[in-house]
Amino acid sequence: MTTMPVRRRRWRNTAIGLSFLLPNFIGFLILTLIPVGLLFYYAFTEWNVFGGATWTGLDNFRQMARDTTFWTALRNTLYYAAFHIPLTLAVSLGLALLLNRKLRGVAFFRAVAFFPYITSIVAIAQIWNMLFSPGFGPVNELLRWVGVDNPPGWTTSADWSMPAVIVVGVWRDMGYYMLLFLAGLQTIPGQLYEAARVDGASAWQRFRAVTLPGLRPTTFFITVLLTIGSFKVFDLILVMTNGGPGQSTLVLAQYIFRKGFEENQFGYASAVSIVLFAICLLVTVVQFVVNKRRSS
Amino acid sequence: MKRSLAAVTALLLGITGCSSGGDAEESGPVTLTLAGWSLATTPEFKTLADGFKSSHPDITVELKEYDAANYDTQMIADLAAGKAPDVYVQKNLKNFFTYQDGKQLVDVSDVAGKLGPKVGGLSAYQVDGKTWAIPYRADSWVLYYNKALFDKAGVKHPDGSWTWAEYATAAKELTTKLKASGDKALGTYQHTWQSTAQGFALAQTAGASLETGDYAFLKPYYETALDLQTAGAQVSLGDATTNSLTYQAQFGKQSAAMMVMGTWYIATLLNQQAKGDADTFEWGIAPAPQLTKATTGTSATPVTFADPTGLGINPKISEKKIAAAKEFLAYAAGADAAKALAGIGVTPADSSSVADTIFSLKGAPGDELSKFTFTTHDTKPENPVSKYTAPLQNILKDLHTEVLSGTTPIDAAITKAQDRAKNEVLSK
Repeated sequence: MTTMPVRRRRWRNTAIGLSFLLPNFIGFLILTLIPVGLLFYYAFTEWNVFGGATWTGLDNFRQMARDTTFWTALRNTLYYAAFHIPLTLAVSLGLALLLNRKLRGVAFFRAVAFFPYITSIVAIAQIWNMLFSPGFGPVNELLRWVGVDNPPGWTTSADWSMPAVIVVGVWRDMGYYMLLFLAGLQTIPGQLYEAARVDGASAWQRFRAVTLPGLRPTTFFITVLLTIGSFKVFDLILVMTNGGPGQSTLVLAQYIFRKGFEENQFGYASAVSIVLFAICLLVTVVQFVVNKRRSS
Repeated sequence: MKRSLAAVTALLLGITGCSSGGDAEESGPVTLTLAGWSLATTPEFKTLADGFKSSHPDITVELKEYDAANYDTQMIADLAAGKAPDVYVQKNLKNFFTYQDGKQLVDVSDVAGKLGPKVGGLSAYQVDGKTWAIPYRADSWVLYYNKALFDKAGVKHPDGSWTWAEYATAAKELTTKLKASGDKALGTYQHTWQSTAQGFALAQTAGASLETGDYAFLKPYYETALDLQTAGAQVSLGDATTNSLTYQAQFGKQSAAMMVMGTWYIATLLNQQAKGDADTFEWGIAPAPQLTKATTGTSATPVTFADPTGLGINPKISEKKIAAAKEFLAYAAGADAAKALAGIGVTPADSSSVADTIFSLKGAPGDELSKFTFTTHDTKPENPVSKYTAPLQNILKDLHTEVLSGTTPIDAAITKAQDRAKNEVLSK
């Protein structure tokens, strides 16, 4: 007996393991990893898809620095994120707390809250646009009925288009994050609540001292997901306002799409993508660091 | 192991499309592929393919369908991947520069040289003295009007003498009088596209150009549009976008008495009226309103706009296929194809000889002004060919929504667009 069979067996195990990974990895490699890798090259070139890319060094980044539309898009993205993240957190946590009780028909209400998340984004945009229609939409009808004389123009007004998009964004995402919060709530041991009750803690005190700390890992996970999702927001805005009126809802992801696929400036679009990637990375790293410090 | 590695490599190459196959030179019949979009509702591609086959039995043209809204994005991707059809359509001029500059078109100057003098839109495809695509349809923007609604309101039909001011007066008069007679229809409808204001402004203003970065010429056109919106003679841009209004329904379902639109809508309207998708009513076309009186009246040539639709040849195909494709292009721009296209309501590149065909279709108007409008026009391109056109049009699209939503006054919006054009596009 030599070591051959052992080595062969080890090799066989590795091969089996790899064969399980391979189908997924090939797709990931071709559709994600290689394109993302190439992105870092194209960001330093001028390229319109046809023929080779011309190396232009830092030109794209220099141009970005004085590109007012890029800064507008960045500002709009931050605006969206600044409201979308806390609002979605609050609404989905509230829904989760409400639907974590033993109520009649709770499964039905959970399904209802989750529904927007699985509805086609085009349908959502179309319906909400009609609801928000300044002249005939039900939202403004309601506002007029309760006594608002001059209701906002929503998606047709530069001042109100972003709030309108944020409302729809929160409404769409709340169900999904509610589900994650619900799962988090199930992991908090019931004895903790009983003990708190015995000590005479009020509902608010129980929420502050038991629920919130118990949910910390879930909240952290959701915040990271939400942050990345908010910075990458694209589909909703594309179909709902197409960045308008003017540039009032133009976000970075749409600006990248515009530069790349509408204007065929793939080099410049890649450079903007890198900036978006860097922002997402930076914010996520900060969140990890803060979370680590807090939990220790 | 070596064998399995080779298999994996082969698989990867297959997936990424790195095959090295080419078209072998063969004699005998040739099959060409032609790009088209929405084949079920856009019969022109099949009409061209079938018509060509009957005079060239050796050459078969097969259609490859693309998505109408993402046609250029998909075509650019296919060309870059080497998977594009042999002959592909230049849907408008916005991306022609990208194709031509990217060396994705065969020089077809020899085909152009043999075409008759009446083929419209050819000059748009000429760069450095060579022709890179051949137009087969050349639409132009005109004024559609609903004769029944005009009569109901007691307003005189358009006679080809209108400037934009007269058009606006008529629109307001129609709105008021229709309302008085209990009809909810508005005077006119200008669709949400930027071209409804900017296309005319660029075509009709002497010296106007996108590349100068001076957009003061847009002002009178937006003043008219805003005036019509404020007066309620036209649906506001906000209501049109939030309710996803379609121009086909606005005119076809008689929600508006007039509409500026391209001649491609003739075929759609005839078709929808025949099928019952549009109401049945008498309509006509008149020349688009003009900036000044100088180009109005049936003794002048009205100035309007539209991009031609052309065919280009993919340079990656064999010599034999290129020769066959050139024959197809010559046919598509010629008199036989013009008749066939007119038969389905499409405006061919050579529109002078087919007015009788198109106006003898069931449901088409029979008046002289409609025929004059169809045959007489000075049609300027909507997207002048330049590397700056696509980004400049995007800036002007922002201006369009900014002004018509009432976000920014017209002068401030023009100044902003000029600054953006200078800093973001023209300085590069």
